[in-house]
Amino acid sequence: MKFEIQHQERYSRGELLLRTFLGFFYILLPHAFLLMFVGLWGAILQFISFWIVLFTGRYPQSFFEFQVGLMKWNLRVNSRLFNLSDGYPAFGVNATDEFTNFEVEYPEKLSRGLLLLRFFFGWIYVILPHGLILMFRMIATNFLVFISWFAVLFTGNYPKSFHEFNVGTLRWNTRVNLYLYFMTDDYPPFTGKE
Amino acid sequence: MQNENLTYYPLPQPDDLDIREKEDAMGAYFMMFAAMAIGLPLPIVNIIAAAVYLFMDQTKKSRYVRFHALHSLYAQIPVTLLNAGAVTWVLLVFFRDYALTNIFWGYIALVALANLTYFTFSIIAAVKARNGQFFYFLFFGKLAYHLAYRVKEDNKTMVVNQPPKM
Repeated sequence: MKFEIQHQERYSRGELLLRTFLGFFYILLPHAFLLMFVGLWGAILQFISFWIVLFTGRYPQSFFEFQVGLMKWNLRVNSRLFNLSDGYPAFGVNATDEFTNFEVEYPEKLSRGLLLLRFFFGWIYVILPHGLILMFRMIATNFLVFISWFAVLFTGNYPKSFHEFNVGTLRWNTRVNLYLYFMTDDYPPFTGKE
Repeated sequence: MQNENLTYYPLPQPDDLDIREKEDAMGAYFMMFAAMAIGLPLPIVNIIAAAVYLFMDQTKKSRYVRFHALHSLYAQIPVTLLNAGAVTWVLLVFFRDYALTNIFWGYIALVALANLTYFTFSIIAAVKARNGQFFYFLFFGKLAYHLAYRVKEDNKTMVVNQPPKM
């Protein structure tokens, strides 16, 4: 899996302020409204994919591409909401972005045993341990986003280590989602690093 | 439905189709679980999902996938209507104190049978679609074939711009 959010040389203070005061209206509202419907469709395909993987051992490729596209869209929006990128996130599951990159290798075969294991016991061995750590990591991320806001406002730079940490949180979260959505058989590592 | 005036595209054979097309065709039949997936016991959700599946990325869909998507969509209509009737009747029984008559139980039995039949044949169709084969439901099979594989005549007439009439 490749998950990157480019660290920019300079961040726009004007865009930062605009996002802070009006981002709810011009980024979150329109994207969340559309993502709600597209997410519903994603949930339907997810449910169907479960049964298809169970019986065939393969995740339908077009369903897989749709889910990856949906995750990319979420990533584009999140990177703006966390002030990790400037610019306006593009709409649509097929859209691309100059600052974010997310690629997942399509698995030709998936294990049906692991699928059932995740379905019945996923909450014990995935959600509980990862969820617990990610909860604390998310608190730290929000704190760093808060500090970085001032750093960008006064210097125009996003501290690189903070950026890496925050991107790492999103990366970790995405890896867990990929595993829980039956899109990979690789257990997510307990790290946000590549 | 196939008469001398209509021409149809040749049907692809299992080896002509790639796995992606086969899986997309199979996916169309699973739209009957859409309502279950989002936890809404509304029969209309399934039919909306089947329609979305048909029309989404339509230009990228092959005739084979379109046939199965149409097949699944049309075959759902009678079952959806029966289910909608059942849901309405059950709600009336609960909230308007309608009596649980023998007609009610008969209708519920009919709906259960229709759903079971639809479910069984849809699974058969899904498995066949995954193998690159065709399976035709009564009536809807012909209709879907006609709509997906009929060669449409190009009725575009050349437009000639004319000066205003003096």
